[in-house]
Amino acid sequence: MSMKTISKSLLCFFFGFALIVGFAISETRASEITVYTSYEEDEAAAFLAAMQKDLPDIKVNLLRLSTGDLHARMLAESANPRHDVIWGWAVTNMVDPRILSMLESYRPKGIEKVPARFRDPQNRWFAKTGYMAAFCVNNEILEKKNLPMPASWEDLLKPEFKGEVVMPNPASSGTGYLQIASILQLKGEEDGWQYLKELDKNIAQYIKSGSRPCNVASAGEFAVGASFALRAIKNIDEGYPITMVIPAEGAGNELEATALMKTSKNKAAAKRFIDWTLSENAVNEYYKWKEIVTVSGGNMPVSFIEAGLPEDIGSVMVDMDFSWSAANRDRILKEWQTQLER
Amino acid sequence: MGISISAAGSLFNRAKNRTAEIDGEFLLKVFAVGLVALPLFLFVLYPLIHILGRSFQTADGLGLENYITVLGTRRFFLLLYNSFAVTLLTTGITVFLAYGFAFATQRTRVPGKNVFRLIALIPLFAPSLVQAQGLLLLMGRNGIINRTFGTEYSIYGFWGIVISSVLYVFPYAFLIFSASLAAADNRLYESSRILGAGPFRTFMTVTLPSTRFAVMAATFVVFTLVITDFGNPMVVGGDYNVLATEVYNQVIGQANFELGTVIGMVLLLPVAAAVAIEKVLNKNHYGLLSEHATPMVIEPHHLRDGFFAVYVTLICLCILAVLGIVIFASFTHLWPYRLDFSLRHYAFDVQNGIQPLYNSIYTGLMAAGIGVTATGLAAYVTERFNTFFDTPLYFLCIVPAAVPGMVLGLGYIMAFNNPSNPVYAIYGSLLLIAICNVYYYHAQGFLIASTSMKQISSTYDEASAILGGTFIRTVRKITLPLMWPTLLGVAVFFFMRSMVTLSAVIFLMTPSTQVAAVSVLLLEDRGAVNQAAAFSVCIMAVVVSVLLVARILLNTFGHRHISLIR
Repeated sequence: MSMKTISKSLLCFFFGFALIVGFAISETRASEITVYTSYEEDEAAAFLAAMQKDLPDIKVNLLRLSTGDLHARMLAESANPRHDVIWGWAVTNMVDPRILSMLESYRPKGIEKVPARFRDPQNRWFAKTGYMAAFCVNNEILEKKNLPMPASWEDLLKPEFKGEVVMPNPASSGTGYLQIASILQLKGEEDGWQYLKELDKNIAQYIKSGSRPCNVASAGEFAVGASFALRAIKNIDEGYPITMVIPAEGAGNELEATALMKTSKNKAAAKRFIDWTLSENAVNEYYKWKEIVTVSGGNMPVSFIEAGLPEDIGSVMVDMDFSWSAANRDRILKEWQTQLER
Repeated sequence: MGISISAAGSLFNRAKNRTAEIDGEFLLKVFAVGLVALPLFLFVLYPLIHILGRSFQTADGLGLENYITVLGTRRFFLLLYNSFAVTLLTTGITVFLAYGFAFATQRTRVPGKNVFRLIALIPLFAPSLVQAQGLLLLMGRNGIINRTFGTEYSIYGFWGIVISSVLYVFPYAFLIFSASLAAADNRLYESSRILGAGPFRTFMTVTLPSTRFAVMAATFVVFTLVITDFGNPMVVGGDYNVLATEVYNQVIGQANFELGTVIGMVLLLPVAAAVAIEKVLNKNHYGLLSEHATPMVIEPHHLRDGFFAVYVTLICLCILAVLGIVIFASFTHLWPYRLDFSLRHYAFDVQNGIQPLYNSIYTGLMAAGIGVTATGLAAYVTERFNTFFDTPLYFLCIVPAAVPGMVLGLGYIMAFNNPSNPVYAIYGSLLLIAICNVYYYHAQGFLIASTSMKQISSTYDEASAILGGTFIRTVRKITLPLMWPTLLGVAVFFFMRSMVTLSAVIFLMTPSTQVAAVSVLLLEDRGAVNQAAAFSVCIMAVVVSVLLVARILLNTFGHRHISLIR
């Protein structure tokens, strides 16, 4: 009977479906933690390899997303967070009260090595690495168009750079926000906004990601890409004909923080992981990859120095007021969007 | 043309069923309607309702505040204008070009049709991000053209989006036209010739009217794909912003779900309008391919064949140039500075390595199975049942086309990341990603199936019903044998889209379920442009291999004449 055949095939279909479902669920194991990070893909892979040597019994499921993506995702998931640890994520985003309320106070082993200004007074987060703003300048274009090498934000105002500068959109990029926050903090709000409006005349595009301005400058699409130092160093390493310029006014910067989730289902393992992020091996690894490390220990790699990063990094960094950046983020972005967004 | 007879027949038939005996057929139909509708409710409307609710959520309870914030700005109207300018122009160009291309491959004797066909479909095999990238490598400020001629032409902005969008949606329109033009009744063309009509007149009075459903379907599909796409405007748009990029900006950049969802809701409107218009215009369509149809005979015609040979060659060259340059760049040492051959970008020394590619294949296979079942059944139910549910069900089936992938993905998180929801059991698995892909592309798969279903005259079904065949038997003996090439095509379609799609899955993937297209995005984001290109080449290789395997299987079983991608 045809009814029978159809019900039989329907049954098969549902069994097949159930089988796939079952297969999909049976995936969790003990001593396994989920970590969300915004470390760049390659650095995260290197850190994790080092961690696996020290803590072989912990399996880390690592999800790497850009700062903004991760923020959106954590808020979307906030009813039922999937992760145990946030590792290496912008402090400016971390201090969002909606995020802070999800974090558990924890004092990891060795926390005293992190200077007090790089950690939350209530011990909900601490920052051990960071990144700073830098320009990627394409040598080929400078030569072809006979442009001077810019040394500062001020230089970018020169009329010959019209249509040759790209910058991240601060509304979507953490790097973009740290750049304008540093300008506003350095120059004061009034002069800062005046400068940004002047600069706007030379900007070819506001790009939605923080690393892409450097990448398009590297590819020769535009002469100057305002980005961050590590991207410039890595692209020089790759062989692109670019120069890294740290703005003479001082480089805006952002710290990458780590925190434990209140909702973690495996706190013991999560805490061991967080302890490890302050261990000697971890710190050595940071020095190989990060321009800013808040814990003293290792040495800066040769490639960083060759690319033009000073050994005393503190001398070129703007002393950022992160709580100001965080508290005024919405207001500044709104202002930027009404005045400058295209 | 037999329509009144068919309608009467079906009415008569239904009346007979209702009065005479209740043989379970009605129940079965209701069951089938439920089988189509329930998953659509669960996997499309339910997440959408969560998003909708979010758009009304304000700091102090529910309200219209978000809408007022968004709709009250000048910028919003600028974005609206930009979106429509890009989308309408792209739709016009694509429908025109793709119709011509499909005509060339189905109704002329252009040599090497299969090769041209395959080339036209290549954009389906690659993540759209890479296409936009190819355009930049070719026509960017430092692209090959400017480098060669020393010019300073900039592709960023309006035209960049239009060109890359045309490339992106061309295969979708081509597939719809191709399926529609493939079905033809030679008797009509013979009559037209006997009555003295020239080729142009025949085209205007026979060919075009018989494909008008396809024209509308293609317009509709292209319109919604373009207006909801954010990949191309992101990469080549420069500062030319559209609504879809604004959603991305609000949600990703500022974690502002409320405003993002408002714009998402605004995007739904034009699409709902498009659907309504299409439905009204199409009220009286009927199957073209009747039981008396004779297969199309195409006579050689030098002028026509010559013209179309040049036409398809030009279009194929454009498609190949944009994708070819990406493949080429993936094998160079450092584009565009050192063009010597290198395999270093194929080392995949990234976290998770090549595993995402396997995840993608597994997800693609699941999506193909679920997708073909869901859309095939949906097309059959809406086209053949003649029940009260047809129109709402049809609408339900194409609603997903109006939902930007990101919005759907976010809706999934909000709806299903909740232990009290039964779907939570598969949350964070590849299966949910597969399901998400199926329902994200549901409208397109459904339209491919229903376009071809429309062209199989329903008189077959009625004949079968009158002869006493049950609906199951009709499906098994008539519909499936006629439809299965299309259904196979739908399966391949879902597999391909699953391999390359990005926007819906970005929120759903977990560390263990990263898929290949996301790897492309991550590599791209990190600045490893050549590596991203290399990963895309791998994705394309997988898709092409699957197509080849399917082709070989078909040929072995004697179905050489069946085209796989429809």
